[in-house]
Amino acid sequence: MLSLSHTHTHTHQKPKPQRPDPKTPKNHQLHHSTMAITSSHPIQIHKLPQHTYIDALRWLPHLSTFTRHIILATYDSDTSTPLLQTCTLSSPSQTTPSLTPQSTAAAPSRITSLKVCPSPSAPSKPLVAAATVSGAVLFYSADLVNGSLNFEFSVPEKGFHSGPVSGIDLNDNGLECVSVGEDGRVNLVNLSVNKGFRRVFDSNGLVSYSSVKWASPFEFVTGAFGFGLHLWDQRKPGGPVALFKDNWTGGTASGIVHSIDIHPSRKHTCLAGGSYGTVFAWDTRWPKKPILLSGLGVNENPHANSLVESDIWEVQYDNYTHPSNINSSSSSKILPAMICSEDGILAVIEQGEEPTELLAEPCAINSFDIDRQNPSDVMCSLEWESIAIITRP
Amino acid sequence: MPGMTSDAGEFGSLSVVPHSLDAQAARVYPLRTHRATPPFARLSISWARGNTLRVTLLQSDDAVSEQSVGGEVVEVKLAEADGGEISDARWRRIAYGSVAPFALLQSRKSSIDSFHYEKDWWEHVMDYSKEISSLLGNSKSSATPMIEDPKTVLRAVEEPTSVKAAWELLEMFYADKQSQTWIPERLLDWLADFDCLFSGTQPTVHSKLVAFQKELVTIQAVENHPEYWEVISSALAIGWLDVVVKLLRLHGSYMYDQLGSREIENGLVEAVALLISQMPRLRPDLPTEKLGECYNTKPEFMKAWEKWRGQITKLDCSAFWLQCDHQQTRVGLKNMLQIMLGNASLLSNVTCHWMELYISHFLYIRPFTVGLESMYSLAEKCMHLKPISNRHKLMGLALGILEENTEVVLAECSRSFGPWMITHALELLTAGSAQAENLLHEEQSKLGGICIEELHRLTYAQILSSHALTWNIAPIYLTSCMKQGMGLLENLLYNQPVQHHQVLLKSIEICRLNGLDRVSDDIMKIAGVHYWKHGKKGSAVFWLQQAQDDVRLNRIAKHLFDFVGKSVSDESFKQWEGMIELLGTESKTAGGLEFLKKYRDFRRSLQQVQDGITTDNARKAAEALISLMRNPSTPQQFWLPLLYDSLKLLNWKESPLLNVSETNILLNKLQELSLAKLLPGFVASDLPSDALKSVRLALATNLGRAFLLD
Repeated sequence: MLSLSHTHTHTHQKPKPQRPDPKTPKNHQLHHSTMAITSSHPIQIHKLPQHTYIDALRWLPHLSTFTRHIILATYDSDTSTPLLQTCTLSSPSQTTPSLTPQSTAAAPSRITSLKVCPSPSAPSKPLVAAATVSGAVLFYSADLVNGSLNFEFSVPEKGFHSGPVSGIDLNDNGLECVSVGEDGRVNLVNLSVNKGFRRVFDSNGLVSYSSVKWASPFEFVTGAFGFGLHLWDQRKPGGPVALFKDNWTGGTASGIVHSIDIHPSRKHTCLAGGSYGTVFAWDTRWPKKPILLSGLGVNENPHANSLVESDIWEVQYDNYTHPSNINSSSSSKILPAMICSEDGILAVIEQGEEPTELLAEPCAINSFDIDRQNPSDVMCSLEWESIAIITRP
Repeated sequence: MPGMTSDAGEFGSLSVVPHSLDAQAARVYPLRTHRATPPFARLSISWARGNTLRVTLLQSDDAVSEQSVGGEVVEVKLAEADGGEISDARWRRIAYGSVAPFALLQSRKSSIDSFHYEKDWWEHVMDYSKEISSLLGNSKSSATPMIEDPKTVLRAVEEPTSVKAAWELLEMFYADKQSQTWIPERLLDWLADFDCLFSGTQPTVHSKLVAFQKELVTIQAVENHPEYWEVISSALAIGWLDVVVKLLRLHGSYMYDQLGSREIENGLVEAVALLISQMPRLRPDLPTEKLGECYNTKPEFMKAWEKWRGQITKLDCSAFWLQCDHQQTRVGLKNMLQIMLGNASLLSNVTCHWMELYISHFLYIRPFTVGLESMYSLAEKCMHLKPISNRHKLMGLALGILEENTEVVLAECSRSFGPWMITHALELLTAGSAQAENLLHEEQSKLGGICIEELHRLTYAQILSSHALTWNIAPIYLTSCMKQGMGLLENLLYNQPVQHHQVLLKSIEICRLNGLDRVSDDIMKIAGVHYWKHGKKGSAVFWLQQAQDDVRLNRIAKHLFDFVGKSVSDESFKQWEGMIELLGTESKTAGGLEFLKKYRDFRRSLQQVQDGITTDNARKAAEALISLMRNPSTPQQFWLPLLYDSLKLLNWKESPLLNVSETNILLNKLQELSLAKLLPGFVASDLPSDALKSVRLALATNLGRAFLLD
């Protein structure tokens, strides 16, 4: 028999204390097969076990209402092969959706970041950018009609990044890609003309960047260690134009920003998620006053809730609104955001509201993506080699 | 196995379970290199994670040119020759899925109080067992076809695994207290699900049926074929009543055109089919597609059984048999009646291996067998009647269970089904038998003071640790080990590669969840030093700060200052901004790096002085200078550059910015500096040669003006 002193250790990953939220799918039987939550449940969840580790996943733009395409960055540990794979997903609202692989492309090393952007010239051929551990960024066009993934070009040139590229982001028009790395370099890849890259900044390793997101055609925000956020403006070269440093932890514990999102209609507000379940919004107009939505310092802020204690791996603004609560959004509030975490939570957090848990898993949820064209559909990759597809009513 | 060859025979005779030590044929693993090409000058082999070898290939010197690489490291995964019943990916899925039920059971175990322990415990164990069992595959087919083909007597189901069969067997005997009263029927169900597993090594009723079903499509009048009656009798003997009735209905006398001429024959077939479908069963319920009538209590069942047997005897003695013209039908049906009446020699003839015979005995001869002792003696008898040439692993396990020999069950589990099986099955064993619990929880001195349960958990955790995707679930099992668990968990965490950012964060998270703050700090220190070595100074400082490692922060501070000192222009200082932001507020550990922040502030105010020319600003800058020079953490190599940069302050026209004592401090520093020049290890600044002279002059002038002002 186990001693009581060991009991707390079992809270690692599972079993989680049963949360009162009735919407939480806590069905342990979900592990092995595709199965739907009972029909009375408003949220449908389907698990699709894979035989490979999912490093990243994204929805591809819709071509028709019937078939949906997704792209996966996978890693097969048995053969040590990283792959990019496009799949068709039979309608996620069906009782048992299934993934059918469509085309694959071998990647030189594991993918750290995957971004998709609709191609302005050819809507059926969205642009895919993938950053690798070996320090390259690969560009593909995914031909949805013919079901192929065509390699366009890559930037593994000398001096691009040394070591892993930790984050990339494609500009809205798909013409520029910004990349950051642990080596402290910030580079811009031009996709339209010369397909080369331009160094924006090199901190010579004094700062390690972890994530990046465009704010406007000229500005972007990078995330770094110590909950640091830097705002850059291409028109003002030489360094970041604004710096943000956390001031709520009181110096006790600092963390890493793992993911950033900026809403296209509110370009001055930057949403960041990172260590210790921290999610905060940084308004570049008031750089000293971050709004903490979740995390360690929330005790001083009764409106924020700490749902998660471990790393938040991804944040995205959630532009899905349920018909019932459409009125409650005020312009001064931070828009609702979806998060996924190391301790297996996929949830929507909103300023001053109780968080809504969509999924509580015994393993980490590494990444997720909200379908921009149909925001009721969300998919996420689970650490234990599977994908979950969530359809909200 | 080394050291075992000489006395292998003796070892074999002593072992509880025979263990074959066959020499396996050598396997060849091709090395797939990407860049390096043969010939190779040197080759070194070492173990990587798990059963992976890391092979380093080094090219000979003359083969190395500008374009080619000097060598390459390839990893070779040593795999089992046969893939095994379950693929690696499927095993991983099982491993993932079993974490939650296992952890839940452990936490229940530690929270349950001793009063409720006996009473409700097996229900928790059953929950656990059902969940684990569901991971191992579905034994029942999920969808029933809308239109059933009458000639499909056996429905095609997903091939079951022997792991699942073993698990169900253990569950039946150890965990499921509810089924204790009707174990023979449970065994019958079990064999119905898993008889096909034995087909690989010996003939089975299942394989007979499968073969017959293939023929069935081409056969016209089935009743004329001896195999038909043979298969029917076999299926009846092991209680697959639905199959038997289905087969009987294929009898030619049911054909519309023949019904008239073969009325009596058909009546007999139907009478047998009816009797079969009315067979009393000592069990609470039956799945809908199965036949028989259930009786929950023994007296009720006994009554029904006697009545049923009476009906059989009556039919057996019926005069209609004489009017049955079809000889095969008459013989076949009569045989079936004999089987139902429990004719032992007939049962032995129609069954294939001892387990089938065993089931037929339960069904037709000794339906009231209870208790493992009598079950075991019956099993021995059946084995004697049907000796086996090739003992299947499941038979070994079943015998061990019936024999109530925990050691054999353990050995069979671990030998045939691996560490996952034994680790998880121990929960069933301990729940099911006090003897097993004592054996498993007793501390064994020959195992270094740990118990058998812990030993198996540690072994399983070791296997999980050896794979990059499963190492992070090993802590669940390690933390359930009282003696060695935490130590091995620390080892595991220290062995994780810190250079992979994700793995590093995962390790720290595991430390957090298990309260291993010290290990966490150590890992962060290791990471800090790793990043420092690889030029990622920012990450290094971050991790060392997180670990509150003042010693190392101070040491790297010296190197960082060298770096600053050499490129101390305003432009290059911009890249330091991010680093200084990282150092954060005063309360945080920054070690000697605190200087950087002060230096930055000083430079800022100095910048303002150069931009505008207010005395207020200048005064502030001078204050910053004094505080920097007073601070013992300010490195010596910065003293002169600092003073040289502040010449404008020292020569401030409107009034002296420094008073006498402050000026004296600065002069003393200069004095110290000129003495330090003589010591080894002095870092000379790359300032103009007259820098010292001009600073000294400025200070002297300032001193004079300050005297006057006083």
